[in-house]
Amino acid sequence: MQWVDALVQGILLGGMYAQYALGMALMFGVMRIVNVSHGDLVILLSLIGISLASSFGLGPFAVMAALVPLALAFGWILQRAVLNRVVGEDPLPSLIATFGLSLALQNLMLQIWSANSRSLPGGGLESRSIEIGGIYIGLLPVIVLLVAAGLTLGLDLMLKRMRFGRALRAASADVEAAAMTGVNPKSVYAMATAIAVGILGFAAVFQSLRSTVAPADGGAQLIYAFEAVIIGGMGSVWGAFAGSMVLGVAQAVGFRIDPGFGVLSGHIVFLLVLALRPQGLFGRA
Amino acid sequence: MTSISTSADAVAAPPAIRVRRQTVSGVIALSLFVLVIVALSTMPWWAKTGTIRMVLELCCYIVAAQMWNMLAGYAGLVSVGQQAFIGVTGYAVFVLAQTFGINPFLAIPLALVVPALVAVPCYLLLHRLDGPYFAIGTWVVAEVFRLVASNLGWVNAGAGMSLAVMREYSGFERNVAMSVLCALMILVSIGGSYLFLSSRYGLALIAMRDNPVAASSQGINVGRLRFMIYVAAAVGCGFAGAVYFMAQLRINPPSAFDPMWSNVAIFIVMIGGIGTIEGVLIGALIYFVADRFFGEYGASYFVVLGVMTVLVALYARTGIWGMISKYWDAPWFPIRRHLLVERKDRA
Repeated sequence: MQWVDALVQGILLGGMYAQYALGMALMFGVMRIVNVSHGDLVILLSLIGISLASSFGLGPFAVMAALVPLALAFGWILQRAVLNRVVGEDPLPSLIATFGLSLALQNLMLQIWSANSRSLPGGGLESRSIEIGGIYIGLLPVIVLLVAAGLTLGLDLMLKRMRFGRALRAASADVEAAAMTGVNPKSVYAMATAIAVGILGFAAVFQSLRSTVAPADGGAQLIYAFEAVIIGGMGSVWGAFAGSMVLGVAQAVGFRIDPGFGVLSGHIVFLLVLALRPQGLFGRA
Repeated sequence: MTSISTSADAVAAPPAIRVRRQTVSGVIALSLFVLVIVALSTMPWWAKTGTIRMVLELCCYIVAAQMWNMLAGYAGLVSVGQQAFIGVTGYAVFVLAQTFGINPFLAIPLALVVPALVAVPCYLLLHRLDGPYFAIGTWVVAEVFRLVASNLGWVNAGAGMSLAVMREYSGFERNVAMSVLCALMILVSIGGSYLFLSSRYGLALIAMRDNPVAASSQGINVGRLRFMIYVAAAVGCGFAGAVYFMAQLRINPPSAFDPMWSNVAIFIVMIGGIGTIEGVLIGALIYFVADRFFGEYGASYFVVLGVMTVLVALYARTGIWGMISKYWDAPWFPIRRHLLVERKDRA
């Protein structure tokens, strides 16, 4: 029973990681860029959300309605002001630029919000749960998982069906050829990053409802997103979603073995996948 | 400097050529370098303990930065997880000296085997990740090491270890050891890098940096060269870690595997000028001075460092040394080869 419980809780935890991983998979797929400040942006949005909630008395979903457009704007500005200047064959400039940004953001947050851990009051939502066959399933984690699945589906449909999605895939396959057919890569990239960071607007609310956030937490979120993408296999948003579930289960099972082993067991599963199936569990060889 | 004759006599008989590498600035810098090494190793006779400790810290930063420079600036391997090797070697020294009772000064060279052994499986796993994902992968490895050290009972888990055996040595003896180690570190990391870069391996490395595909078509084994650099950089960082934590006398998982090492190395190399030894030295001095003057501002100081790193990545990728050498071509560590054609009619 304990292991079934770990499996269920792990999948629910995976829903949270999927919301970080989608944006990372999208950005890497389109631009071959890793935004090192990805995790710090989640924390920044969470802290802004918590401050909004406490100053205006907003509920969690009102905070979300405010955060998602803000996150979209952040992503758009990030791409226009920084990433469009460093995107290219050489991975070094984009890594260094976002690395510096991560260092600056982390310490800026430390200045504004201090090192304390905070969380978003959910009005009882965070503690409600239902019991199925002796396993308690939290209502909030189920909502998180459903939203993650919805976001994955939406992203997948957008990439496959919509005109913008086609432009994205074209720019990802061959920038120059795409530019010749009338796609403006810079504005396509800006939209892609806006979406990638926009998803973090949802993630920020859920993260600060589920647990606490502190300015130094961003690095861990970045690593989880990265592991989920690699475990799942690059190149598809559903791969990132499934990879998140695997990572969540690995951490939950590890945590049941020993509380100090939770995060580590996620890392070990990641390294095992890298050793045995480097194209990812669901990736094409 | 280089003149190529196209006259008929030159076509008939190939002109005698000579390759010149050393420059006047290089000779001056090399003499200064020797002086610095001598000054470093004689520190106990002219500097106070506080100064020696500060210099030791600076030397550790220079080594970590130069190793990152070799990785990112030449081998095309961007790592944000070199703290893995810094911490592992630091721990190895503590375990050897404290747990097994080996002389701590002997423990340092012995401990350098550890990062070399650890780097091999790390590289075999990580080289499967391309470009930016490699960087995040190195960070995961460093996190794994930190978590393992935090859970491992025989390195005292999260509480860390102390190097109590150092009490057997007098302050002067410790100062002598620290000074000699500083001189050795700089000699091996800067002098070693220079020798490596001016050898045929260095030529291969520079060719690889400029274009890996073209380099491998010229017969360079790109994969093996990258592997060599990765292991060498691990050992170099390990050396810095061993010396740093021996001077600190204490080690615990968060300090041993602190991502700050990567922040500092990246800042130093990017500000100073990536892909040059001169840049590392300039960057390290700037960081060191800035840290002394503005370190007390804590978080806002790091905000400035971060913003400066972004600005360099956006607008000045060659760093300070790149800007200097554009106007004043006087390398301290010349590695370019100048082809001199000797005209026979004048000889």
